[in-house]
Amino acid sequence: MENIYKPFLMELKDIISETPDTTTFRLQFKDPEIAKTFNFKAGQFGEYSVFGEGECTFCIASPPTRLEYIECSFKKAGKVTDALASLNIGDTVGFRGPYGNYFPVEEMKGKNVVFIAGGIGLAPVRCAIDNVLDLRNDFKDITIIYGARTVADLVYKDKIEEWKNRKDIKTVVTVDPGGETPDWKGEIGFVPNVVEKVAPKGENTIAIVCGPPIMIKYTMPVLNKLGFKDDDIITTLENRMKCGLGKCGRCNIGNVYVCKDGPVFTYTQLKELPQEY
Amino acid sequence: MEEKIITKEKLKEFCNELLGQNIDIITSGDKGYFRMKNGDEVFLNPKVRPTKASFKEYIFPKSEPIIYYKRDVDKVELIDVEVGNKTQVIFGAKPCDIKSISILSKIFNWDYKDEFFNTRANNTILIGMMCEYSDKFCFCTSVNLSPVSDEGSDLFLIPLDENKFAVRIVTEKGAEFIKPYTKFFSDGNKESSETKMKSVKFPEKVFEPEKVREWITNNFEHKYWDEIGKMCLGCAQCAFVCPVCHCFDIVDEDYIYTEGRRMKNWDGCQFSLFTLHASGHNPREDQSKRYRQRISHKFKYYVDKFDNILCTGCGRCSRGCPVSIDLKEIVTDINELASNN
Repeated sequence: MENIYKPFLMELKDIISETPDTTTFRLQFKDPEIAKTFNFKAGQFGEYSVFGEGECTFCIASPPTRLEYIECSFKKAGKVTDALASLNIGDTVGFRGPYGNYFPVEEMKGKNVVFIAGGIGLAPVRCAIDNVLDLRNDFKDITIIYGARTVADLVYKDKIEEWKNRKDIKTVVTVDPGGETPDWKGEIGFVPNVVEKVAPKGENTIAIVCGPPIMIKYTMPVLNKLGFKDDDIITTLENRMKCGLGKCGRCNIGNVYVCKDGPVFTYTQLKELPQEY
Repeated sequence: MEEKIITKEKLKEFCNELLGQNIDIITSGDKGYFRMKNGDEVFLNPKVRPTKASFKEYIFPKSEPIIYYKRDVDKVELIDVEVGNKTQVIFGAKPCDIKSISILSKIFNWDYKDEFFNTRANNTILIGMMCEYSDKFCFCTSVNLSPVSDEGSDLFLIPLDENKFAVRIVTEKGAEFIKPYTKFFSDGNKESSETKMKSVKFPEKVFEPEKVREWITNNFEHKYWDEIGKMCLGCAQCAFVCPVCHCFDIVDEDYIYTEGRRMKNWDGCQFSLFTLHASGHNPREDQSKRYRQRISHKFKYYVDKFDNILCTGCGRCSRGCPVSIDLKEIVTDINELASNN
């Protein structure tokens, strides 16, 4: 009997401590046959589990252009994330996926792309960034604007350095006022204000935005002012999910199941949803 | 559609034969659904009110394992769950109950096929029965059903009198099922069953589902939601007795430190923790928002997505509500609000 709820078994290959409460896992399929055929698109997510504790929803943070492993990042917040945070290299993690829809990377080709992320919101966006950078010549100008509350809260610090050192993209990193350290060389200001300052042009550009609800709320009008059309602003929603495949009802908002009709939505689609997320 | 006749005595013999062949029969008396032990328990009174809870747990169990796991020092082993192929018969359920399976099938087969549900549904023969009961809580006729509807039944019973039933063979599945048991049945004619069906008093239609759907679409922030939300306790009795509510949770349960199982358990959108994020944010932080979700999901979202109203008008939720919230009244109110605009 086919079982849509049965997870793959993954081996925990590497643990990277991003911030005091955020961790990145690098996982590999235990079954080499599955590893060979597994594929996904940037923006999709999975249900990761510790057997005995439960399942948790995280996006796949590594890009589909590098399939030797998959990565996810999470914050210690509850039962399952606590259990995940206590695992050691070599331990087994369950994985169901890939689920959901994806960033329209194909449609973005030939255009400028602006990535805007806040805090751990960089995780789903990072997948798209790496995907796009691995195919750099298919895109025009690329801008990354990323911010967190404090310097300690910035995730993927080594990735950020990698991006900053590239001459073919523009990377701007900011921390909230008061979050800087004495030797901080980046911007200081809330992400929406920094977006306004950097002022990427909206014409022929796609914006991918992800972060805490309040950041998204204030960034959207800034993008509209810069000439971005609602159809060209893309975000990925977080919502409490369980089954990940459109059955258990938990993530249902209006006519949409975030796990199945999303999690990637355009601003146009977001506006049509009842405002309850 | 072929029609047969069977007497009550022969029905009891028919049931005994099925039971003897290790086929489960789930039927209801004047209390709830139960597994028949012998043919003498055949009740089949169309005049009793619906049971307290629906029969959905026999196809969508309250609690079922979806995978077993064994944890060793350096590895985890997963063991599959076998649902099995035992045939079961739902015997004599009202149209408002029978219809639930085809409604639920839509979401359980939306792209991903839930074989836990499908296997059980495929192994179930649905024998519906005409209904001659109605009270102030029922409203099957308002949700495109009726007391004489054979929609969803494989076989449909029409009680001609206390001791004789017409049996309509509605589906291929029903026809196949009944083939080895024709000795219990005699040939029928449509006239007597049709006369009987015409004599049933239908509950009055009290709202227009399309109007309700439209009102819900345009009134997300209406203060009406606050009025009903204030009464609701969030106990979710309504979700558990409902033939078509299907929200569920997935949790891991250890037996001992080396093994356990992952369970699929019934859940309800009326619970305060249903949409709570680990961050502490709850998009539906008060009962009005949660109640709004219940009504909207049943009368709009499921309709928009799957072309089926997620309600059969059985009235169980209202009959059992500890604070006497009446779903029929609420939807009728909405219909009136829609008409006044």
